Amino acid sequence: MKTDRTRLIFLAAAILGFVMIFAMQRTMNEYIVSIVNFVGIYIILAVSLNITNGFTGLFSLGHPAFMAIGGYVTAILTLPVMKKAMFLPDLPSWLAGLQLPFFPALLIAGIMASLTALLVGVPVLRLRGHYLAVATIGFLIIVQVLITNMESLTRGPLGLNGLPAYTNLWWVYPWVLAALYVSWKIKFSSYGRTLLAVRENEMAAQCLGVNLFRTRIASLVIGAFFAGVAGGLWAHLITAITPNSFSLIMAFNIVVMVVVGGAGSISGSFLAAIIFTLLTEVFRPLEESLEVFGIGEIFLALVLIMILIFRPKGFFGSREPRFLTGRNA
Amino acid sequence: MSLAYIAQQCANGLILGSMYSLVAIGFSMIYGISRLINFAHGEVVMIGAFLTMGLFQILGLPFPLVAAAVLALGAVLGVMIERAAFRPMRGAPQVTGFIASLGISIMLQNLGIMVLTAQPRNFSFPAYLQQLVNIGPIGIRIVDICIMLATPLLLAVLLFIIHRTRLGVAMRATAENLDVARLMGIDINRTIMAAFAIGSGLAATAGLMWGGKFGQIDPLMGFIPGLKSFVAAVIGGVGSIPGAILGGYILGMAEVLFVGLLPPIYSAYRDAFVFGTLIIILLVLPNGLLGKETEERA
Amino acid sequence: MVKRFMLTLGVLLLAVMFAFPAVAEEDTIKLAGLFNLTGGMSSIDAPGLNGAKLQAKLINEAGGLLGKKLEVVGIDTKTDQKAAATGAKKALSMGCIAGLGYGDTTYVMAAAPLFQEKQHPFVTSGATHPMLPQWVGDFMFMACFGDDDQSFAIADYSVKTLGAKNVAVWTDNSMDFTKALSKFYKQRIEELGGKIILEDFFMTGDKDFSAQIARLKNADPKVDCVFISAIPNEAGLTVKQIREAGLTLPIVSGDGFDTELVTTVPGPQLANDVYFSTHTYREDTRPEVLNFIKEYEKEYGRPPENAFAALGFDAVGLIADAIKRAGTTDGPALRDALKTTKGFKAVTGEITYSRASGVPVKGVSVISVKNGVYKVEEVWTPAN
Repeated sequence: MKTDRTRLIFLAAAILGFVMIFAMQRTMNEYIVSIVNFVGIYIILAVSLNITNGFTGLFSLGHPAFMAIGGYVTAILTLPVMKKAMFLPDLPSWLAGLQLPFFPALLIAGIMASLTALLVGVPVLRLRGHYLAVATIGFLIIVQVLITNMESLTRGPLGLNGLPAYTNLWWVYPWVLAALYVSWKIKFSSYGRTLLAVRENEMAAQCLGVNLFRTRIASLVIGAFFAGVAGGLWAHLITAITPNSFSLIMAFNIVVMVVVGGAGSISGSFLAAIIFTLLTEVFRPLEESLEVFGIGEIFLALVLIMILIFRPKGFFGSREPRFLTGRNA
Repeated sequence: MSLAYIAQQCANGLILGSMYSLVAIGFSMIYGISRLINFAHGEVVMIGAFLTMGLFQILGLPFPLVAAAVLALGAVLGVMIERAAFRPMRGAPQVTGFIASLGISIMLQNLGIMVLTAQPRNFSFPAYLQQLVNIGPIGIRIVDICIMLATPLLLAVLLFIIHRTRLGVAMRATAENLDVARLMGIDINRTIMAAFAIGSGLAATAGLMWGGKFGQIDPLMGFIPGLKSFVAAVIGGVGSIPGAILGGYILGMAEVLFVGLLPPIYSAYRDAFVFGTLIIILLVLPNGLLGKETEERA
Repeated sequence: MVKRFMLTLGVLLLAVMFAFPAVAEEDTIKLAGLFNLTGGMSSIDAPGLNGAKLQAKLINEAGGLLGKKLEVVGIDTKTDQKAAATGAKKALSMGCIAGLGYGDTTYVMAAAPLFQEKQHPFVTSGATHPMLPQWVGDFMFMACFGDDDQSFAIADYSVKTLGAKNVAVWTDNSMDFTKALSKFYKQRIEELGGKIILEDFFMTGDKDFSAQIARLKNADPKVDCVFISAIPNEAGLTVKQIREAGLTLPIVSGDGFDTELVTTVPGPQLANDVYFSTHTYREDTRPEVLNFIKEYEKEYGRPPENAFAALGFDAVGLIADAIKRAGTTDGPALRDALKTTKGFKAVTGEITYSRASGVPVKGVSVISVKNGVYKVEEVWTPAN
C-alpha cells in the first residue's frame, strides 16, 4: 500500500531526476550520457522482468525476443520513407509509405510485443520451472531465426542501420518512471499479492480462488510491453539493429540483475541494473591499460558470485527497503 | 531421396545424439541430486577437449591413456566446481545456483580466451581413428563408430553404479529426499561430490569426442553443448537419467534430420524447427518425456 | 537498512567517477582501435589490433608523426553492438582523431556513424561490404577490398582457370558478409555463362555438414566445383568433411577461407584442391610483406594468424600516411587526404581510392591449397 510518504518520495525523486538530466545534458560528455541512457534502458528491462520472473516466479528467458520485436517494429515504423525504399524494397505498400514519430511507434512496438506474449503465453505458460525456461529459450531462438530469414521485412542478417537517433535521456527517463510506477502499483495492490501468492505456492493460491492461468499471462504480457518499448529505445540509441542484437546472453544478463537485486524486489532490480551496467564500464580502463582483455568479465563474474554467496536471496530479498515503504512491506 | 541417403542421415543423427546424451546425463545427474542447474557443464566439455589436445598432441601420450586421463581430470574439475560455487549455495533458491554456475561459466570462458587466445585450434586424433569405413551404403569413420559404441558402454557402467552399488543407492536416496537421506546417515557431501565427479567426467569425455568428430576446438565452444545438454535434459525430464539419454538422441536426430530431409531452402530455419518440435513435445508432456510430476503437497 | 542503502549509493557514485576516462595527458596522437577482443568474433578481430599496434610502434620508432607519438587505444567491444556504440563514444570523448577496426559490417555500423557525426574518419580494417562508404558517409574508408571484387576474382578463376560450368553454392545465411559474397559470386558466374546447379545453406556455428554433402553428392548434373561462403570457423570443417566423404571436386571461397584452419583441420592430405580469393599478403614476396611478417614474429612470437592482422597494420598505415600529407589531424582535412590516397604501398596490396563508391581499388590474390601447401596462383585486379 502506498502511504503518503511513499508518494511524496516518489514525486520528489522524479523531479530530482529531471533536474539532474537537465544538468547532465549540459555538462557531461557524450560518452557518459550514453552510459546513463543504457543504465536507464537496463532499469526498464530489469524492472519489467522482475514483474514476470520476480513477482510471479515464471522463469522466462524470452525477454530479448520481445525486445527484438519491439525494436524492429519501432525501426520499421520510424525509418524515413526514402530509406525504407532503399533497405526494404519488398515491404508491403501500406507499410512502405508510413512513417511515424517516436512515441506512437514505441507504443505500437510495446503493444505488438504484448500481443506476441499473449499468443505465446497461452500454450506455453502451462509449463513450469525449467520446462518453461527451455520453452522460452526456444521462443527466443525461433524469433531470431525468423528475423534472420524474413528478409523482405527485416533485411535479414544485415539488419537496419541509420535509424534516427531519437533516444536520449528525455525519452528514457519517463519510461523508467512509468516502469517503476507500474511495478510498484502492481506489487502493492491486491493483484500484486496474487502474483506473489502464485509464486510461493500455486496450489494454495488456487485453493483461494486465484485464476492461475490469467494471472500468469497478464504478468508475462505486462513484462513484454516494457521489454518491447526498451527494445525500441535501444534500437534508436545505437541507431542500428540486427537479429543478434538481442541474444540469449542478454537474457542471462537481465536475469542476473533481477536475481542479484532480489527476485520480487523493485528497488533491488533498480539497483542491480545500475551497478552491473556501470561495472562493465568501470572495468574498461583497467582492461585497456593492462591490455589483458577478458579480465573485466572475470571480475564481474567474481563480484556476482561473491554477492550470491553472502546474500543468496539477492540484495533485498523480495522486499523493498523500509524507508521507502514506511513500514514492513 | 534414396534409402542410403536416409540411412546416412540417421547414422549422423545417432552420432551427434550420442555426444549430446553424454553431456546431458551429467547435467541431469547433478540436477537430480542437488537440484541445481550447472551452467558450467559446457565449459567442462571445452576443458576436456583442450586437455585431450594438450595431452595427446603436445605431450604425445598414447591415446587410450589420454582418454582415461581426461575422464579422471574431468571428474576432478567437477568436484572443484562443486566446492567453489555450489556448496556455499546449498539451500538458496534454485535460480541463485543457476546464476552462480553462469558466473563460473563466464570466468572459465574468459580465462580460456586470455590464456589460450580465441583462435580455433586444430584437434587431431591418431590416424587409425580417422579412417573412413563403408558399411553398406553408409560411409562412417572409425572415430564415429567408437563414439556410438562408447556412449552405451559408459551408460551401462553408469547404470550399474547407480543401481548396483552402495554409492548408487546413496545417490538415488539423496535425489529423492535430501534431508531424509541425511537422517539415514548418508554422507551428503560425499554423495553430491560423487555425482559431480561422474557427471563431469562424462562431460570431459564428450569434449574429447567432440574435438575428435569436428577436428576444431576453441575456448568458446562449450556454450553450445552446455545449452543443448540443458535443453536435452529438460526435454527428457529433468533429473531423469534415461530421460536425458532419450532427450540427447532426440535432439541430435532432429538437428540432422531437419537439415537432411527438408529442401535446402529450409536449412537455415533448422534451429527454429528443432525448438518448435521441442516446444510441442513439452506442451504434450509438460514434465518432459520421462519426468515425474513434482507436485508439492501443501 | 538505510545505512546500507546509502553505502551502496556511495559506492555507485564512486563507480561513476571511475567511468570518467583516465586523463593521462601525454601528448600523443590517439587512434581508436575498436575491435571485438572477446566473444564470438575475437578470433578474427584480435590479430587486427595486434597489427595496428605494431604499425604504431614502428612509426614511433621511425620518429613519430608531426613530432608526436602515435598511440592506438585498444577498445574491446565484446562482440556486442551496445559495447561498440559506447566504445566509439568513449573513444571520441577521449580525443581520438580517427577510428579503425572491425572485421565485420555489423559492428562498423554501430560505431562508424558516430565518427561520421563528429567528422572524424573511420577506417575499417576488415569489413568488406562494398556499400559501407555509401551507408555511413564520406568519413568512412575501407582498408580492404569490397566483397564484390573478391567474389568476381574467384568467380573468374572458377570459370576461366578451373573450367567450371556447373557450380554449387553453399551460403552461411546468418552473416551479411557471407550472403553478400554469394550474391556477387552467383552474379559473376552467370555473367560468364556458368550455371548454378545447387544452392545450399547453413549457419555460423554449424559443425555438421553431412546433409549438405549428401545433397552435393546426389546433384544432377554433376557439379564441377562448390563455392562455400563461410567464415574461418567453418572453413576447416567444411573442407574436412567434404574430403572425408570422398568428394574431390575443387572447393572455392573468399577471404573467409584465409586461415590456418583450412590446412590444419583437414590435415595435409585432405587439404587439397582448395582455392580462395583474399587480401594480398600470404606467400607474397614484396618487401612490405616480408618486413611485416618479420616484425610481427619479433613482437608477438608467432606469425600473423590471418589476413586481418595485416589489414589492421595497413589501416593505421593509411591514417598515418594521410596525416603526413595533410600536415594536421583535423577531421575534414584528414578525410580529404585519405580520399586522395594513391598507390599507397600497403602490406595487403596497393591502395587507391579512385572509385565514386569509396571502395578502394586493390588487387585480389587467388591462393590455392594443394596437399596442405599455400601458393599464390594469380593476382586479379579489378577493371576499374
